[in-house]
Amino acid sequence: MTKYGWFRLISVFLLVAVLTFICVIEDRLVFSSLNAVNNYCYEIESAVDKNGGIVNGEVASLVDNMEYEWKENEKKLCFLVNHKSIEQLGVEIVRLKTYIDEEEPIEFYVSLDIVKNYVETFQHFMGASFHNIL
Amino acid sequence: MLTIVFRAVIIYLVVLFLYRLMGKRQLGQMQPFELVLTLIIADLATIPMAEVSVPVLHGIVPLLTLVVLHFILTYFCKISNKFSYFLSGKPVIVINPDGIDYKALKNLSISVDDVFEAVRGCGYFKIEQIQYAIMETNGKMSVLPKSQFAPVTVQDLKLKPEKSTIPVNVINEGKIVKENLEIARMEETQIKEILSGANVKNVKEVLVMTVDKSGSVFLQKFNEKYQTFQIEPLGQVQE
Repeated sequence: MTKYGWFRLISVFLLVAVLTFICVIEDRLVFSSLNAVNNYCYEIESAVDKNGGIVNGEVASLVDNMEYEWKENEKKLCFLVNHKSIEQLGVEIVRLKTYIDEEEPIEFYVSLDIVKNYVETFQHFMGASFHNIL
Repeated sequence: MLTIVFRAVIIYLVVLFLYRLMGKRQLGQMQPFELVLTLIIADLATIPMAEVSVPVLHGIVPLLTLVVLHFILTYFCKISNKFSYFLSGKPVIVINPDGIDYKALKNLSISVDDVFEAVRGCGYFKIEQIQYAIMETNGKMSVLPKSQFAPVTVQDLKLKPEKSTIPVNVINEGKIVKENLEIARMEETQIKEILSGANVKNVKEVLVMTVDKSGSVFLQKFNEKYQTFQIEPLGQVQE
C-alpha cells in the first residue's frame, strides 16, 4: 500500500474512533446530567414533605445545588446538543427559586413537575432509539 | 458575530480536510453516490455556521459519518464490480456503427438532443463520423470516431519525433525555484549564464523560464514577449 493509502486508512480508523468517542460521551453526559436533575427533584419533594413546606433552608439549598449542577452540565451539553432544546430546563429551575422566595407552593410544585417532565422528555428524544432515528 | 467567524473557519477547515481525504476524484469526475455526498456535505456544513445555538459538532459528526460511509462504499466498489455497477451504473454504448441506440437512450432517460449536445461537446457535429459513443458512469460522453474522421497522429504520418519531455519551471515570477533546479540537475550559476546569454541582467526581470531535457528554453520577461532558444541538452532531468 502507498503512503497515501496508509494515510487514508489511518484517517478512516481515526474518524470512526472520534465518532464513537463523541457518541459515547454524549450518551453518558446526557444520561448523567438528566439523572442528576431527576434525583434532585425527588430529594426536593421529600425535603418539602419532611419540613412541611417549601420555605426552609434544606429545600433552598437543594434547589441551589440542582441549579449549579445543571448549569455546569449544561455548559458541557452545549457542545453536543442544540442549546435551544435544553435551555427551558434551566429557566424552570430558576423559577423554582423564585417560587421559594415568593412563598408560592402550588406554582413550585407545578414547576417541579415541569422539570421532571422535561427530564423524562429529554431522555426520550436525546437518546439513540429506533423511534428517534426514524 | 465573532462566534460565527470562528465557526465558519472550523467548518471550512474540516470540509477542506475531508475533501482532501476523499481525493481529487471528487472534484472532477463524480459518480452518482459522490454527487449525493457533495450535495449533502454542502448543506450540512452551512447549518452550524449560521445557527449559533446548534453545536459545531452537529455539523461535523454527520460530515465525518458520511466520509466514513464514502470510504466503505469506495472500498466495496473496488473489490466488487457488481457492487460498483449497482452503485454507479455501467458505461452504456449510445451510438454504435448502426447509429443511435434508442433503447439505450430510453434506459438512460436521455433524449436524442442530449446525445447531439454531448457529441458536439466532443468535437463531432455529424453522427455518421462516430463509430462508438459511450455514456460514462459520471455522465460524460466518450467518442470513438470512425477511422477516416480520426485526427491524424504522428504515427499515421510515419514521422519519428523526438521524445517528449516535461519542461521544468526554473524561474517563476522573478525567483529561482530551487526544488526544480534539483529536478533539472542544474545550478544557479548555469541559470545566470543562460540569462546573460539572453541579455537578461537580473533574475527579477524574468516572469517565467522553463527548460526541458532536450535543452529547449522558454523565457519571458515581465511585460515582454517570450523568446525560445536552445541550450545544450541537459540529459539528466528526473521524470
